[in-house]
Amino acid sequence: MVIPTGIGCRIGGFAGDGLPSARLLAAASGCLITHPNVMNGAALYWSDPRIHYVEGWALDRFAAGDLALVPCRSQTVGVLLDAGMEPELRLRHLQVIDACRATLGLRIGPIVTTDEPLQVSLSQGPSGSSWGRLGRPQALLEAGECLRQAGATAIAVVARFPDDPLSGALADYRQGAGVDALAGAEAVISHLLGRHLGLPCAHAPALAPLPLDPALDPRAAAEEIGTTFLPCVLVGLSRAPGLWPLGPSAERPPEGALRSEQIGAIVVPAGALGGEAVLCGLERGVPVIAVEENVSVLEVTAERLGVEVLRAVSYAEAAGWVLALREGLDPQALRRPLRLGVQA
Amino acid sequence: MRLEPLHLWFELGPGPLRSQVLAALARHGDPLRWAITAVETLEATGAAATDGPKGRRVRVEAVLLR
Repeated sequence: MVIPTGIGCRIGGFAGDGLPSARLLAAASGCLITHPNVMNGAALYWSDPRIHYVEGWALDRFAAGDLALVPCRSQTVGVLLDAGMEPELRLRHLQVIDACRATLGLRIGPIVTTDEPLQVSLSQGPSGSSWGRLGRPQALLEAGECLRQAGATAIAVVARFPDDPLSGALADYRQGAGVDALAGAEAVISHLLGRHLGLPCAHAPALAPLPLDPALDPRAAAEEIGTTFLPCVLVGLSRAPGLWPLGPSAERPPEGALRSEQIGAIVVPAGALGGEAVLCGLERGVPVIAVEENVSVLEVTAERLGVEVLRAVSYAEAAGWVLALREGLDPQALRRPLRLGVQA
Repeated sequence: MRLEPLHLWFELGPGPLRSQVLAALARHGDPLRWAITAVETLEATGAAATDGPKGRRVRVEAVLLR
């Protein structure tokens, strides 16, 4: 299941509001691979052994057949803190770590702070999707290497993001419109670190709390019931599958590892077919289920790209297609009129 | 190391889409994150204008490592 980050998806473009759809697809498929943007609801999360939490860079590499995913009972989650955080914000995040140890029993640590502030900046692409940059990418990578050397098998990053409580984009987002302005920069951070270390990584932005908004959209509400976005990331990473490089000279992955040949379908918003995982699937003949209800700022559709997909109005219909494929049914047999399959 | 945003348009040829995008991006740097974010159908000319396949051009937005 892919819901690209930072493109304003009506479902999953806010604070973990793709999670109910993910749970449904997990039940229909028996095994769902999806990314943090779908699963992260700040202080809210849902842990389901059928759902594999895989960051976007690793998800693309998995779809391309460059990585296998090795299901894991428990990761040791190292935490990488941005030196740009104020002492109070830093303390709040340290208390989240303590809470996840004490209340959920997660294995967390070590904790490393970058040598210098990461200097995150936000931007927008010509499509309206959110993007971002790091002023000090090397500081991120060096801190990540320290964590790996100290025994971390997965890494949660907390970077200080610019506060902009009066911006129009933030006001739109809190009222259920527009694009999550932070999401693009978050994806850049986790892609960069995941690619460098080859470990499961995910990101939580550190922000000053916002003033109460009585008109807050329910889809954005999960981000405003706590003081950090870190709990869901720690929970997600604590059982994220390990990443196993594949290639002619690589060791064979352990039994039970998931490989791209096992992908039964890819579920994606109908206007967001231009990402790498989806294009890999189309090239390999994997059924792509395009969900029309999940509109975004993009209109990269099957018609425009000239590719074949299974259309679903909603995630409920997409779950039906997944179930049909799992049962070995020809999706065309469920539609009328039946397409002629045999030419005389 | 620097992270640089890039957006570019190019015309699609026949064959797999992904390798065409990667080849177009490789001319500019090492892509960290990318997606096709727009597709336009090109007007066909000559005989193709009536019944031939129409061309497409795509816009790709990316962050590159340099």
